[in-house]
Amino acid sequence: METATNDEQMVERALSGDPEAFGEIVRRWERRIFALAFGMLGREEDARDATQETFLAAFRNLRGFRGEAKVSSWLHRIAVNQCITRQRRAKVRGETGLEDEAEKNAGVFALPLDVSPARTAEKIERSIAVRRAVGALPPDLRQVVVMKEFEELTFQQISEALELPLSTVKSRLYTALRQLQMRLQKFGE
Amino acid sequence: MPNINERPVCHRAEDLVTYLYGEASELDAKDFAIHLQQCEACRSEFGVFQQVHDSIGLWRNEALGSAFKPAVLPVESGGSTQFVRHEQKLPALAALREFFRVAPLWLRAATAFAALLLCAMVLLTASRSWNRTVDDDPKFTQQQFDEAVKKRVEEQTAKFNKQQTPPPVNDATIKEPTDNGARSQITVSRIQPKTSRPRGLSRQEREELAKDLRLIPRDEDELPFVLSDEPDQ
Repeated sequence: METATNDEQMVERALSGDPEAFGEIVRRWERRIFALAFGMLGREEDARDATQETFLAAFRNLRGFRGEAKVSSWLHRIAVNQCITRQRRAKVRGETGLEDEAEKNAGVFALPLDVSPARTAEKIERSIAVRRAVGALPPDLRQVVVMKEFEELTFQQISEALELPLSTVKSRLYTALRQLQMRLQKFGE
Repeated sequence: MPNINERPVCHRAEDLVTYLYGEASELDAKDFAIHLQQCEACRSEFGVFQQVHDSIGLWRNEALGSAFKPAVLPVESGGSTQFVRHEQKLPALAALREFFRVAPLWLRAATAFAALLLCAMVLLTASRSWNRTVDDDPKFTQQQFDEAVKKRVEEQTAKFNKQQTPPPVNDATIKEPTDNGARSQITVSRIQPKTSRPRGLSRQEREELAKDLRLIPRDEDELPFVLSDEPDQ
């Protein structure tokens, strides 16, 4: 089903008092914003909260949206800022150890029973290592990786969403992949 | 994984990521594939980037589920971004599982409680309707049953006997003098109900019937023309 109304028109309708319009924007973008938040934060609960806060912030600032940028870029910027703020707060509170352990255990239960324990342990370790490696990337590199790998956007779409030149997006992804390779190196040895 | 940090970076780094994610045009892809065979640095980087890409994909699938796909994909159309909504059909069980995975604890508890309540109500309703069905059935004693059967049999027998009794013959009609005489009697006898016992015809009646059917001439005038036995004069 192809919707004839684009995001910008939906924002206009929301501003003119259509109660359904903002709901439609949320429906269109919630999965992508959740994927972005999950890639940035690495935890489902945090990603869900960040997604919720992103749409809440967008709704509060709806009148501030001037239509100069695309709604997708606007939402992505809000989401990235939310994720960075959350990470900063988590660092201040020192929230890491216990949640990592809980996530590790959750991974064990999520895997199929026919996988051997050694293989399961290896997969979990690798999964945690990838998450940490992505989490350790600078935000500007991380958001490109997440948009490419989690949202599966094309380079052109990332370029439009972040309002960056196409070549910048590609070079950032290249740099990010090199850094990730360095961090994941020990698993290949 | 081999260490690529000290290796010189090829000037086609951007082409490498474009090729890696399958976004190069057909012509560019062919061109880069040829370059890949000649450039050791790009070949090595392509291998390790592929592994990183696969690792992130595994993590994403484990964390978000392999069924994860963005629900709405932007499509460029006439200078403005429009959206194509892809219907994602999950099996009922998978959808239920996803719901329970995503829903908060209170919602899961409320759903479970509602499901239990629904089951209890269904069972209660079924039980009540069963009891009502059983109560509605009239209960007869063996004696009442026998009497009812006997009464019914007697009714049927009486009815049958009544049907077997021949109805009274309408003598007045038969004896009524008419111009046609016997023909009238035959007509009357023909319209007797089928239930009356069949009665054989008397000789006189048979003759009258034959006359009616013109098998026997009534008088000499009605004799059929017959050739004379005598030879022609």
